[in-house]
Amino acid sequence: MHELSMTTQIIDSVLEEAKKQDAKKVTEVHLVIGKLTFLGIEQVRFSYKILVEDTIMKGSKLIIEEQDGTIECPSCGYKGAIPFADDPAYHVPIPTLRCPKCGKAAKIIEGNECTIRSIRMLK
Amino acid sequence: MANLKEVVNGEEVTLEIESGVDILEVNKQLARKNMERLREHNVKAIDIMGSIGAGKTSLIEKLVQALKQKYRIAVFKGDLTTTIDAERIGRHGVQVLTINTGRECHLDANVVARAVERISLEDIDLLFIENVGNLICPAEFPLGTEKRVVVVSVTEGPYMVIKHPFTFMTADVMVINKKDLAEIMKIDTEQLKKQVKEIKPDVKVAVTNALSGEGVEELIKALEL
Repeated sequence: MHELSMTTQIIDSVLEEAKKQDAKKVTEVHLVIGKLTFLGIEQVRFSYKILVEDTIMKGSKLIIEEQDGTIECPSCGYKGAIPFADDPAYHVPIPTLRCPKCGKAAKIIEGNECTIRSIRMLK
Repeated sequence: MANLKEVVNGEEVTLEIESGVDILEVNKQLARKNMERLREHNVKAIDIMGSIGAGKTSLIEKLVQALKQKYRIAVFKGDLTTTIDAERIGRHGVQVLTINTGRECHLDANVVARAVERISLEDIDLLFIENVGNLICPAEFPLGTEKRVVVVSVTEGPYMVIKHPFTFMTADVMVINKKDLAEIMKIDTEQLKKQVKEIKPDVKVAVTNALSGEGVEELIKALEL
């Protein structure tokens, strides 16, 4: 839900790097967005397109890679994909932090991030 | 941060940079700093989030009444524009600081850090931070508190928990408020409890009526206060 402000921060960060490298143009930005964040991919793309307009990032390709949620259980050591509870009463499968091996509370280790993986630019 | 790769193609030089900057990490780092600072002063901070009208302010009033003999309490009150709630809590004789966010839908670690600068941490041991009335946005922005409470009320319907799984994943304690209306609203609080335990098995649940004070003892126990 904070796609506009997040995308603004992403662009600021990319432009800062481009300035440091003395680049003429940014041609590609590769993002990794965790599936457990509250960021909508479509809204990020929409905001990006508008925000790069008057910058050297205009026309750059935006690659968004989605990162699946991964959990780790401090009780039994299980590490793996975040499980989903598929109770018919819920209508949709909902993600849960219940360890699929021992049933205790697990912790999120991946899927919470919004990372700039790489930037491609022209000098 | 950068790992550089230069590719020369005729006159064009393409630079590929591995960045690794995590935009959400900035807030998380500030949150960790807040936590360190509060711990240094032995201040226990509690973030309270929930929809508008769920009963966050009423619960804080009851918590303050019950705990003000035992702890020196301060309250940060996140609110878009008004100081109505701050006045309500202030009547109980504790320090209240309003953080008017203007248009923002949540508090973040940075505004909390600035609010912390404005109070004397030597003079308090317990800090309640009432987040802006919103069940989605605050979830992504940890503030650096020891515990996070998510308040729902039975008038919000039977699907509050399963519609917001990511929010409840961040909760240490869940409050089901307005228990006196559960029957009228045909809400089974046990079902809500079961759902939240499925999403977050170690969450503690208190069922309350913030107006009468019923269940507040249970909440205090859940908060280990």
